[in-house]
Amino acid sequence: MSVDLTDLLHDVAVLHRFADFIDEYCKAQERSQTYADSSGKFFKYVEDLCSGIKKELSSQVELAGRFPRRLNILRNNARILKDYLRSLHELIKPAADAHTLTTPAPLVELATDQLQKVRSMRGSEVVVLLTPEFMYFQIPHTEIKNQGRLVEKFIIPGAQFPPKMGFIELPYSQGTSFFSNLVIYHEIGHFLYQELSNPDSQHKGFSDLNNAIIRSVKRALAGSRSKDRQVFAVVQKYIESWTQEIFCDLFAIRLVGPAFSLSLIEMLGMLDLLEDESSIRFYPSHPAPAFRLAEHLKMLQNDSWWESFPGVDPRQKQVLERLAKLPRSKYRFYFDENKPGPRILVSAFLDNVVPKIRDLVHEVTASAASSTRRFADDRPTVERCLMAGVVPHSQDGAPLDPISIINASFLFYLTSLPDLIKKFEGEGAQRKVEVYSKWARRLELWTMKAIDDSILYERFRRLKG
Amino acid sequence: MTPIDLQDRAQYLSLAMFAQQVISVLMEFSDEGKTARISSLEEALSSLRHASNPSASPSRRAAALGSYEQLRTLDEVWSDKDRKRAMQMMRAILRTPKSPTSKQVANALIDLFSDLQNQALWNFEQPKPISQRVMQRLCQLT
Repeated sequence: MSVDLTDLLHDVAVLHRFADFIDEYCKAQERSQTYADSSGKFFKYVEDLCSGIKKELSSQVELAGRFPRRLNILRNNARILKDYLRSLHELIKPAADAHTLTTPAPLVELATDQLQKVRSMRGSEVVVLLTPEFMYFQIPHTEIKNQGRLVEKFIIPGAQFPPKMGFIELPYSQGTSFFSNLVIYHEIGHFLYQELSNPDSQHKGFSDLNNAIIRSVKRALAGSRSKDRQVFAVVQKYIESWTQEIFCDLFAIRLVGPAFSLSLIEMLGMLDLLEDESSIRFYPSHPAPAFRLAEHLKMLQNDSWWESFPGVDPRQKQVLERLAKLPRSKYRFYFDENKPGPRILVSAFLDNVVPKIRDLVHEVTASAASSTRRFADDRPTVERCLMAGVVPHSQDGAPLDPISIINASFLFYLTSLPDLIKKFEGEGAQRKVEVYSKWARRLELWTMKAIDDSILYERFRRLKG
Repeated sequence: MTPIDLQDRAQYLSLAMFAQQVISVLMEFSDEGKTARISSLEEALSSLRHASNPSASPSRRAAALGSYEQLRTLDEVWSDKDRKRAMQMMRAILRTPKSPTSKQVANALIDLFSDLQNQALWNFEQPKPISQRVMQRLCQLT
């Protein structure tokens, strides 16, 4: 279809107004709310981009006057800028909703601090978004960043996408809750995975993992005579998704310990994914929950976490042990709820890729892993404080380890909350839903405050050298 | 977890931008005689090579073009012959940018990449599920 200058002018005017609105929106949000630094940098990028787009549009119109035969192409340029801005549009509002009063700021700060201890991730930043979905997401930023790089290189010089920036989404209803938000460690794992698996990062471990994925795809397709590139790409996408999910689970366990597994079990339970039949199914985007939990158990045992809380037996721990015991031969692959797929994909993944994932997680988290020894030391203090109804703190002034606080508090929440309620509200109160809920919330607030104190102390200590 | 729809759609936009990058270099060359950015066609060439053989690891800095969404879009617009022709033309421009036929070749390449870009932008608007043909092949795996 041929276009004339009027069509182009119409398109660029629409885009101009769009960019203008987004620019103003970001500025208005920053004036009215307090955000983490990472969100501020993201807004600044969007503002720079929008003013760059507005300037660029005039030069596109000027170019159209000089080269009218290129009108179609110039119109597509405007369309690409609009579509890129649309992609960012999906992040801007959720980022604006996630100001410091609506997010578990101390937990995000702690997780980011830990992430920065991973080699190659120093200087990384996490932007929190609030989503209307009841699900935790990590927004795949690799494509957005690559697109940002191309936009900067070819269209708008100077609008540089902040390097090492990741995005995680929390359900807006869970923004300020604490224990369920431990799942963000998994999402941060996605951020790290995408950052280091990018060929530009030249990370040898991830390059080896990628080769293992390709080997497993070849093995899965070995019996097929088809050399179809699209089939190869689809199988690769499935196996890559499973790889990322397992990597992120194990990464989270290494950083935050068993509290992550217990939190994930709560979440999978809410989604009805822990029944025997649903727990053995691999889907295109996710490995079977039973397999995930079997890997959790292995990692927790290897890191000596499992034996560090004997005598504590919450339901979540039993679920984990039950599902981890299911034999691998029971795992199946389904395209969707009703359509079974070839099991060879699962076998190829289990045999070729999984051992590499375990090794890589150990390598990547060597300097950031949590400590069971600290947990053993700190746990009695944390429990004593919680049972006394105060924010966990040590008597001698030395700070408690934040990961120990999280794990000890979570175990307390799962096993001792009724006793705490009885102590403060009297016998029978622990069976009243509203009272139970109120004390669970209180416990989360104490935990969050203890972590905040610990982070602050650590920062002070570093400053003093 | 990653939201699948967003991730898949992003692949189409990246492909459209990839085409845009090539077109912009070629337009500068053909319309204004500028050759400063011609060398960036190397990167694009490497990406197209990777698209021909997705089982090879993508090279550093080259856009991968190995995702299902991108391969499908390429196959929708270009035949194998078109792909080879595009690669040949890119090599010709890189080798002898000052040749009298180079601008003509650049214009032919612009047309090819414009078709690719249009399809990628269309698929970005209207993303499609995995094709029946690919699903059937997957179901035949044992």
